Amino acid sequence: MSENLPGIQETRELLKKKKVVIAGVGETEQGKIPDKSSFHFLSEASKLAIEDAGIKKDDVDGLVTAFSLVEHTFMHCTTFADYFGMNPRFFSSVAVGGATAVWMVAEAAMAIASGQAEVVLCVRGDNTLSGISSSGMLALIREMCHAEFEFPYGLTTPGGYALAAQRYLHDWGARREHLAAVAVTMRKHAADKENAMNKDPLSIEDVLSSRVIAEPLTKYDCSIISDGGAAFIVTTEDKAKELGIENDLAYLWGMGQGYSHQYLTTLENLDQIYNAVERSGQKAFNTAGIEPRDVDIAFLYDCFTITVLLELEGLGFVPKGEGGAFALEGRMEIGKDLPVNTHGGLLSQAHLGAMHHVVEATLQLRGDAGSRQVEDPEVAVVHGNGGIVSAHSTVVLGNQPIN
Amino acid sequence: MSEEKKEYNKPLPEFRPETKPFWEAAKEHRLVIPRSRETGEFFFYPRALSPGGDMSDDIEWVESEGRGKVWTFSIHHMGPSKAYKGEPPYVVALIEMEEGVKMMSNVVDVDPKDVSIGMDVQVCFDDVTDEVTLPKFKPAG
Repeated sequence: MSENLPGIQETRELLKKKKVVIAGVGETEQGKIPDKSSFHFLSEASKLAIEDAGIKKDDVDGLVTAFSLVEHTFMHCTTFADYFGMNPRFFSSVAVGGATAVWMVAEAAMAIASGQAEVVLCVRGDNTLSGISSSGMLALIREMCHAEFEFPYGLTTPGGYALAAQRYLHDWGARREHLAAVAVTMRKHAADKENAMNKDPLSIEDVLSSRVIAEPLTKYDCSIISDGGAAFIVTTEDKAKELGIENDLAYLWGMGQGYSHQYLTTLENLDQIYNAVERSGQKAFNTAGIEPRDVDIAFLYDCFTITVLLELEGLGFVPKGEGGAFALEGRMEIGKDLPVNTHGGLLSQAHLGAMHHVVEATLQLRGDAGSRQVEDPEVAVVHGNGGIVSAHSTVVLGNQPIN
Repeated sequence: MSEEKKEYNKPLPEFRPETKPFWEAAKEHRLVIPRSRETGEFFFYPRALSPGGDMSDDIEWVESEGRGKVWTFSIHHMGPSKAYKGEPPYVVALIEMEEGVKMMSNVVDVDPKDVSIGMDVQVCFDDVTDEVTLPKFKPAG
């Protein structure tokens, strides 16, 4: 699929001209932290990102937030602006499930490119683990499936992904080990991440023999739930210089979205999912002027193990049906073909959508990833996925300006 | 199917005006699937306007034989809430109907271990409350 997608050239010109960058990142402690509220995490993460960039709160003139699973608000961004004490001239709440964090980068870039803001704080935080009520959890599950035509049959969120996984195993003759290998790699990576929740070694056998949640998925095929916050500052190279930001910058090279379905009921086949991932990736890759083989590190949404295989294949890193073998051979590990989620991802680090994927991509490109640093990465891809592999977003980031 | 009426605590569908004919038919143990009169194309779930390019609001409800195949399934070992206590394992499946649409449902009257992709299934009806009947599926034949 290499036809000319609409808008590629325009976006490319804008990104070349504006040189949009991620100039600061912050992440709070992640885990079970019952004494902090959702807005506390948002504030703390924002402060950390502002301090990491070495700027003042008043330098920030744009705000992009997401949503909360605990605090119900119709206007999340302005509710937070009030709490944090800021007066942004651009504000927006992005709410596309797990595709949100990646698209926050794009939302900020579009605001900057159109002159709505110059320094945009993107932040997400929540006390999901400690704060969510059982009715809140039920409402979340109901939101992921059709309330009238799916939910009454007892479909759960892991169950929705299990339906995709079962079909994947059937179509490609893959085995549960292929799924389990993804969880094993994420756990290996989390061991080197100071701020990760689950660091104990995990084997394929551990995954296969753990509690079955929804066949073919077990407990370790499913991501964790956590409390915490993370944030990043999006601006331009020029503005970063003007503000005296000393961090190495992560440059935005491309962005794209892809939609497949909202409810599994309307999904025709697995190809529909692949096509949505591919559209999202192609738009970002084509804008960046790169091919999948040019990517040094990938940050793939890993709410469940199956998600990573669909993304690896849909984005063109491996041929369709071969993601499982790629995972099982350890080729997603640091030092191998394509390091994926060097921070441990949603499966082992913490679950805050893809916020940590964006933060880690930035740290890796800066060379600030400590003991888990990949050797001189130049190009990173971050991919988010919302719903039941429904809605996709991709960004390409580089350690130099887009050329 | 449900002689002794037990209290039903699991989530029930909330009918919308445009979905009511589906649930009314189910109550009569009939499966109906919406179709655009303009294009003759079936669609599911029911909507007020055809989701096709025609955007037609001229929708007919076509009685289905209720035959389909399991397109994918998952044996759930954990339900979404406490109301499902004692229920698992149960089978949630996407059924590909002869009409070409897919329906989410349960496969019942079978050992979950015996369910497989491609399995022929036939609709059956579960009167879960006095007001609501859920179409479910059992092995055909």
